[in-house]
Amino acid sequence: MISWLQSHGYWPFHVAWSEWTSTLLDGLLKTIEYAALGFVAAALLGLVLALMRTSRIALVRLPATVYTELFKNIPLLVIISVTYYGIVQFGIKLGVFEAGALSLAIFYAAYLSEIFRSALVGVHGAQREAAQALGLNRWSTFAHVVFPQALRLALPGTNTMLVDLLKSTSLLTVIAAGELMAVGNSVASQTFEQMEVFLVIGAIYFALCYPLSQGLLWLERRVRAGSPLSPARSRRLRAARELLETA
Amino acid sequence: MTGGQTPVVTIEGLVKSFDGRTVIDNVDLTVAPGRIVSVIGQSGGGKSTLLRCVNLLEKPDRGRIVIAGEEVFAGGRVVCDDLARLRQSVGMVFQRFHLFPHLTAVENVMVAQRKAAGVPEKQALETAVRLLKRVHLAHRGLAFPDQMSGGEQQRVAIARALALQPKVLLFDEPTSALDPESTREVLRVMRELADDGMTMVIVTHEVPFARRISDRVVFLDGGRIIEQGTPAEVLDHPTHARTREFLTSFDEITDQETHS
Ligand SMILES: Nc1ncnc2c1ncn2[C@@H]1O[C@H](COP(=O)(O)OP(=O)(O)OP(=O)(O)O)[C@@H](O)[C@H]1O
Ligand SMILES: [Mg+2]
Repeated sequence: MISWLQSHGYWPFHVAWSEWTSTLLDGLLKTIEYAALGFVAAALLGLVLALMRTSRIALVRLPATVYTELFKNIPLLVIISVTYYGIVQFGIKLGVFEAGALSLAIFYAAYLSEIFRSALVGVHGAQREAAQALGLNRWSTFAHVVFPQALRLALPGTNTMLVDLLKSTSLLTVIAAGELMAVGNSVASQTFEQMEVFLVIGAIYFALCYPLSQGLLWLERRVRAGSPLSPARSRRLRAARELLETA
Repeated sequence: MTGGQTPVVTIEGLVKSFDGRTVIDNVDLTVAPGRIVSVIGQSGGGKSTLLRCVNLLEKPDRGRIVIAGEEVFAGGRVVCDDLARLRQSVGMVFQRFHLFPHLTAVENVMVAQRKAAGVPEKQALETAVRLLKRVHLAHRGLAFPDQMSGGEQQRVAIARALALQPKVLLFDEPTSALDPESTREVLRVMRELADDGMTMVIVTHEVPFARRISDRVVFLDGGRIIEQGTPAEVLDHPTHARTREFLTSFDEITDQETHS
């Protein structure tokens, strides 16, 4: 089939993609690794920043606010370059992977902290009070009452940021990070088929991001509907159903 | 009146102010086991604040609070070493229910048992189901708060407050946010609790209900207890002008509960 298309001039590709498959896969894997590590780190740092920003103590709030404002107003590309090249001046030399993931985390933590903060503030104060009145301690109140409700509020914005972060891994190409975009650059320079190469790279990004954002939408809907996300909660609700039916 | 029994709640000389404005002004109150005390009074009179001081959601300025024989507040300080345990023995029901919206009814009743009292899963579930039955809501156990009527939510909130077997239940205008039908449902549950011997402090505007259910009625005005006594004394033969004034504003309210 392919050979028939090729021999009759209907095959649209000029690049022999089968030769590049493993290179592309390596790049794809790198992209996913950067995105996964960058996002997890950004979410953790963002949560810490958000908690700091909702503190009653001004001295705790201040550094978090400064951080957020600073990194929200600097381009990611600059952060990547400074992290990779700049830090060397202080005697710290990060590997490409560390520098890349760290840059993403630094940048997206600023945005996520904004989303998380407004979600935390969005949980009604009376909820905290109701939990306290039931004898839940501070940690349990946060873990079982505030956090799940804040999660619901934060999920849409967080999901947008995750997809955005995944796409932004392409900026890491400036430090030759070996991710998908960097692989694209290298294939393009070796085949001189810029247009075709970047269309294919674009298609791969789409194939990665579209299912991800659809999956996240599905997750949002589940969370909003209060569906169980953990096996323990599924079991609890099943046991409750049984007991309630016989009640 | 109470024999020699230890009171469930003892409040002595309680003072609480916000920004220099005294909201609770030297209040004394004792609630004996199995007794029902209703607190009535104008908006802003300090009723909610008084209740919130009992489980130390609000920290008083001065006075003494003893819960079931254990001193929890004295000399301007919280002296109870385990605030969580104190709150487990004082159940609270709010005007606006404040159920946890991300949890089903049955989970709302379970969460404090699991996370505050460390009750095992199976037992917590059984207790929750039993309490939902007690408030006539076993059929709504898997509903989320936003799928329930106000009356149903408030009854779940009562079940939730009962889950840790509190020694006293505090109600802060439990029916003020409800329509007449829901109000009837909630008052019925409260009356059943009263029949079961539950100790309760009820802030309410339902004067007829307070008259029927209470052992004692307290009229709170401007942060002070102006008058207290049996329902007949306070509601039918008030001695203070302020009380009379307040009660006449309720004259037109019909006794909804007798029609249920
Ligand atoms: N957290 C607070 N900060 C400042 N002032 C408060 C606070 N809570 C209550 N107050 C004030 O204390 C006074 C008593 O309030 P409280 O809510 O106890 O009255 P209430 O009798 O419950 O009134 P209502 O019938 O409207 O519920 C009011 O003047 C109120 O504005
Ligand atoms: Mg009030």
